[in-house]
Amino acid sequence: MSGKLHGRTIIVTGATKGIGQATAVALAREGAAVVATGRDEKGGEETLRGVAAVGGEAIFLRHDIRHEAEWEHVFAETEKRFAAPYGLVNNAGNFFVKPLAETTETNFDNIYEINVEGTFLGIKHAFRSFASSGQAGAIVNVSSLMGQVGFPDAIAYCATKGAITAMTKSAALEGAKMNPRVRVNSLHPGVIWTPMITAQFGDDPALADAFAADTPLKMIGLPEYMADAIVYLISDDASYVTGAELTADGGRGAD
Amino acid sequence: MTETSKELAGKTAIVTGGARGMGRAIAALYARAGANVVMTGRTRETGHAARAAIEESGGKAIFVTADQGSNADWLRVIEETHRAFGRLDILVANAGQSFPVPTKDMSLEDFRRLNTVNLKGVFLGLKHAAESIRRHGEGGAIVLIASIVGKIGAPGFIHYSASKGGVRLMAKAAALELGAEKIRVNSIHPGFVRTDLSAMFDEKTLAPLVPLGRFGEPEDIANAALFLASKRGQFITGSELVIDGGWTVQ
Repeated sequence: MSGKLHGRTIIVTGATKGIGQATAVALAREGAAVVATGRDEKGGEETLRGVAAVGGEAIFLRHDIRHEAEWEHVFAETEKRFAAPYGLVNNAGNFFVKPLAETTETNFDNIYEINVEGTFLGIKHAFRSFASSGQAGAIVNVSSLMGQVGFPDAIAYCATKGAITAMTKSAALEGAKMNPRVRVNSLHPGVIWTPMITAQFGDDPALADAFAADTPLKMIGLPEYMADAIVYLISDDASYVTGAELTADGGRGAD
Repeated sequence: MTETSKELAGKTAIVTGGARGMGRAIAALYARAGANVVMTGRTRETGHAARAAIEESGGKAIFVTADQGSNADWLRVIEETHRAFGRLDILVANAGQSFPVPTKDMSLEDFRRLNTVNLKGVFLGLKHAAESIRRHGEGGAIVLIASIVGKIGAPGFIHYSASKGGVRLMAKAAALELGAEKIRVNSIHPGFVRTDLSAMFDEKTLAPLVPLGRFGEPEDIANAALFLASKRGQFITGSELVIDGGWTVQ
């Protein structure tokens, strides 16, 4: 199989649904060997079927990104099953909307541990793996439009996504000094019609229409659009791009 | 500002990390502007020395020993504030730590230790201060001390980046959420400022690379924090004030 990512092994976290699932399929379509990770085994199987349907290659590993030992396991297993990884997509994350007054310390801790510490651990272990394998690499951190602009009743989520936006820049500077060089970029999705959104706001098609009406391009955001952006950032098409913020939001952030 | 303009008269302000560096300069300037100041910090002795200095120059201040990252400490800080001064109008979340470690060698413990103070601590401060300001319904001002590292990268500081990038966005989200209650929230992004924390940087080598040719002084930050909290900043919310002598525009 040929493609932009032929012969490259890429790990995608949260690849059991939504953006992660679409990304795993898109990377595999470009010839990457994909390691799809996540907590939901059923969703993982669905991802593998999606990859098989495009003639790609993937495995699923159970993975809770909050635990460092599980990251070590994912990287070790990746090398055993495929080859030293070329790329990591730090996609797994949580989302909730709640007024500040009702957001508890525990709410904050939970979303921080997944979105911020989970992403940090991914970057850390990817750097370790790239350094020891001598494999050049690329990392994409999935932040959010809410890691660039504020949103009411989302102070905790904005805190975590702002953290990812900024971590990406420090990681990009460190990666630029590594040998071989590692690129690190962030993707900033707007409102994307995924289980993350429907779990919070419901899946009434009228709501999807309302989101589309509220978006300058008058489109509902689909996971596939995010997957296309991630494939670009991971691939050599973006070989001069590092520390960048790619916003893919139908124009919401400009509005 | 002249010494006689008491533009914070009748206001009460909490300044975290208020006993040293930028926090101490902010607390002192706020007191000179007529505010009742509640300084917090982890070291009792430094705190009481800073309080005494404010009192000697005719200001009103208390010091509360507290860790910005502790919810229980925040409850106590708010309680002491109301006991001493009866209200809260202004929060300056200034406390923070920083130390360099390459990402691949950084332990999760180090990462979390810093973010508990710098990130979660600011969340807790926002939450408790907003609740407290809401009690009188007249609005207020919250100033979050972030860093230029909330906007650009710094190799070896990924944990600090996370905290300051997080603070930068929290200020914006809080500005939107609290605007209707006339609670303004802004962030200040200092570059190199001469404090205990910046002693890790070589000023001789770096200062000439700053467009204005010097490191900032804590007073540079204090002036900005007073502007944002005072009536002069009344239409400013969700804004980022970068005070770095031109470092990030290069």
